Amino acid sequence: MKRFTIVFAVLMLAMVACAPKVTKITLMQNKPEIDGALKAYAADWSKTSKNEVTIKSVGGSTGADLGKQLKADYAAGDMPDIFVIAGPEDYKEWESIILDLSSEKWVSKTAVAFKTNGKTYGFPVAVEGWGMAYNADVLAKAGVDPAGLVNLDSYAKAFAKIDAMKAALGIKSVVSMAASIDMSWVTADHNFNSLLSNGLPYGDLSVTKDLASGKVDATRLAEYADWVELLFKYADRTVLTTGNYDAQVGAFASGKAAFLHQGNWTDPNMKAANATFKMAFAPHGSMKADTNGIFVAAPSFYVINSKSKNVAGAKKFLEDLVFTDAGNKYMVEGAGMIPAYSNVSLKPSGQLSASVQAWAASGKVYSWNQYNFSTDFRQKTLGPIYNQLATGKIDKAKFVALMATAFGSLKK
Amino acid sequence: MKRKSDSNFVFWLFLAPVLFAFAMVIVVPFILGVYYSFTTWSSSARVGDGTRFVGLKNYVESLADPAFAYSFIITIGYTVINMAVINMAALALALLVTTKIKLRNLYRAGFFIPNLIGGLILGYVWQFIFNNAMPSLGTMLGFTSWADPSNLILASNIKAIGAIIAAGSWQYAGYIMVIYVAAIENVPQELHEAAQIDGATALRRLFVITIPLAAQAFTITLFLTLVQSFKQFDVNVSLTNGGPSTMFMGKPIFGTELLALNIYDTAFLSNNLAMGQARAVIFFLVLAMVALVQVSLNKKREIEL
Amino acid sequence: MKKRQAGTWFLEVLTALLFVLSLLPFFIVLINSAKGPFEVTNAPLQLPERWGNIWRNVALIWTSDNIHYSQSFFSSLVITVSSLALLNFLSAQAAWVLVRTKTRTSGAIFLIFVAAMVIPFQIVMFPLLSWFRTITTFTGIPLLRSYAGILLAYIGFGMSQSIFLFHGFIKSIPLELEEAAIIDGCSRPEVFYRIVSPILKPIHATVLVLNGIWIWNDFLLPLLILGKGNAIQTIPLAVANFAGAFVKQWDLIMTAILMAMIPVVIFFLIAQKSIIKGMVAGSIK
Repeated sequence: MKRFTIVFAVLMLAMVACAPKVTKITLMQNKPEIDGALKAYAADWSKTSKNEVTIKSVGGSTGADLGKQLKADYAAGDMPDIFVIAGPEDYKEWESIILDLSSEKWVSKTAVAFKTNGKTYGFPVAVEGWGMAYNADVLAKAGVDPAGLVNLDSYAKAFAKIDAMKAALGIKSVVSMAASIDMSWVTADHNFNSLLSNGLPYGDLSVTKDLASGKVDATRLAEYADWVELLFKYADRTVLTTGNYDAQVGAFASGKAAFLHQGNWTDPNMKAANATFKMAFAPHGSMKADTNGIFVAAPSFYVINSKSKNVAGAKKFLEDLVFTDAGNKYMVEGAGMIPAYSNVSLKPSGQLSASVQAWAASGKVYSWNQYNFSTDFRQKTLGPIYNQLATGKIDKAKFVALMATAFGSLKK
Repeated sequence: MKRKSDSNFVFWLFLAPVLFAFAMVIVVPFILGVYYSFTTWSSSARVGDGTRFVGLKNYVESLADPAFAYSFIITIGYTVINMAVINMAALALALLVTTKIKLRNLYRAGFFIPNLIGGLILGYVWQFIFNNAMPSLGTMLGFTSWADPSNLILASNIKAIGAIIAAGSWQYAGYIMVIYVAAIENVPQELHEAAQIDGATALRRLFVITIPLAAQAFTITLFLTLVQSFKQFDVNVSLTNGGPSTMFMGKPIFGTELLALNIYDTAFLSNNLAMGQARAVIFFLVLAMVALVQVSLNKKREIEL
Repeated sequence: MKKRQAGTWFLEVLTALLFVLSLLPFFIVLINSAKGPFEVTNAPLQLPERWGNIWRNVALIWTSDNIHYSQSFFSSLVITVSSLALLNFLSAQAAWVLVRTKTRTSGAIFLIFVAAMVIPFQIVMFPLLSWFRTITTFTGIPLLRSYAGILLAYIGFGMSQSIFLFHGFIKSIPLELEEAAIIDGCSRPEVFYRIVSPILKPIHATVLVLNGIWIWNDFLLPLLILGKGNAIQTIPLAVANFAGAFVKQWDLIMTAILMAMIPVVIFFLIAQKSIIKGMVAGSIK
């Protein structure tokens, strides 16, 4: 028995001694493209404050990859102190551990915090936007005026025209679009939102609520399906069916595609790829009627875990992002994000971010409504439908029917 | 009498650590797991979440879910083909490296090396090969169809399952080969010599002597490949992550989601831990049954030989 | 005679071809580790423009916050070595008493261990988390995000197969040896450590190799017990963490993969003879 006891005693001692200390703040976020900048800032911040911040980045869409990791960590009792939610569905999933931040100093400096029942819970990470990013140089050479890209028809004509001149323009495809299962966040999150909010007043949830209760506006859906088909038709099939984020963004950044279906978060990637051509956003052409705006919102929010052992430190970390020069610099210059706070005067240098700000300044914006649907619905139900169309397994009519059935299944 | 109790003490003393680990890691979680499959156990922090007993609900819903049925079917198909491919490749390799060729030791090592690489990492490598290297190779060699986007391997669910088999076989065949090599080298040399004197050709000796005698290894190799195929997760995650999609029973679903991944996604992506648990129980029952049948069949065959 | 030579020649070429094919993926990883981001996707099969790039990439991975290469390597090493040591030591002695004690209890315990080999990991993985968490709450011994938990888990998941292998081997050791030692006045534990243990060397090698390959490369168990991006992370976790945090920069991912493979391959090349021998000893009884 003695031998056994000794072996175990030594083991347990060794294990306890090796266990990591727990006096730090962990922040888990979903933007791989700002990973480096955020880590650098966090390291500096940790030096001057008494807290040690660890940043964990989990790529992919908010719901899918970050969500999976958060759930596994929650089951393990190792929930981060600060984590990211992307709207009402995410909020509901973590409701019982999200801290009320209504009395924080930064609340008065932003109009886009995550609020529910009159209380503020989420710290907006940044203002983000997407439309159809275009390579202005290529469009000019092709004789296409981006200002005229406002509806299905104008896009169909422009795409056909550019497609016919591909060789002369030195491009491989008209649109850089991705629709593999791993890229469902591009189709079933971002593109899907065209159906939900394009052409509607900001914050209008009428279409969203109808669909969520199984009511489908057949005309709107049919026009939207035309738009999806158009995008897929003029996309590079390799990128469309098997490409990842790098392949999709890379094709545009290296001048091989005239349009890119992504948002201003690609600015750092453009910089890394030395893309020097002129670029900006045009509206989505998901309707026959004209639309005049792009999708702009603060889509993701830092929330504080109310069970955290270091709530004060976590609050301070968020506050310093808004109220210190170093914090502002990190957000705008380091991460290249558009700040969501009125007191921050810095402006990001990226062309796409500038374009988002220009659209926002003139009030031509539509909201992000896709996060009113659950991750499960977007990723496991809608994602495969887009993928089927992209891989040519189904036609547009079938796509419309499947989408309608999917919404029908939401009827309670 | 003292001797007896003394040996009894040593018996439990020597067993205590493994029994402890077994209880902690297998027995208790297994029982909890079966229990949770009948409840509303969840992995998020919704308000009003509690673990309530719901009877067979999770099982009934799982069995009615086309995605789960599809996962089951492709996992069985994958397992059968994967077992066949790995074992045939491994046996062929084993036969090659037990001939009198030069450098056979080097070849043995070379075929074994892929087995040192974990499934997750090799999935990334093969994703790169299928998506980037193959089309590029096709262009270089003039096989334009390889570079044709409509032929991309990971863009078709059936081909993508084939890709998982290819990647998995590349990894595992060398390992199974080593077992066959041992079995083949166990075959007495005199048998071959006697047959040769009787005028049997090399091919005939292969089928009449080597393979039947090497078959004693089948019990273990088939069991190993069966379990390995059924539990496949790592390569699945990093190579295809469930994509591309396919239509099944009128519903578009993930087209390469093997059971292990389906269970993981049900628990964490669809946020339904309890249902993931119910699926794991079904998975266990099937696996246990298949393993039992397979082992007893093999034992019977071994005796007949 | 001539015909036979032609046949051998054909086999030589065939095997050599298969050999090249089998190592080709490694070659692809190597050449792409020395490329830049666009070079990788545009020319995946060409030799790199500048081999020197490989050092730049290696340096990037070495210093990456997501990989913490040296730290991850250390964790992987600690976990693999300690699990192997414990597994071998504990399984061998357990198998020995199970073989040498011919009671119904002993038989039943062995049967249960063997049956447990078909329990899929998926059925226990989620409850394991909540169970470990409960224990941590009550005893204060951290089983999650710690070496303690992962070692315990590896002993639990690896012992069935290990005991099975030891069991088969020990059965073939003649009992007379042990009886003689007892007559000479050895206690039973002494019999095991002095007489039996040395005989078990070949089967120890088998168990080490089988478990070693599995534990070093394992992904799902460390993912759940250690979590992503924590202080303790294994090499496969680090690579996955890196791949997730960097939106598929293939040049760097290839370098990370290369660096994850190198230690194992070197180890294999050094210990190749005993590894292959060990595997053979265990697989055929």
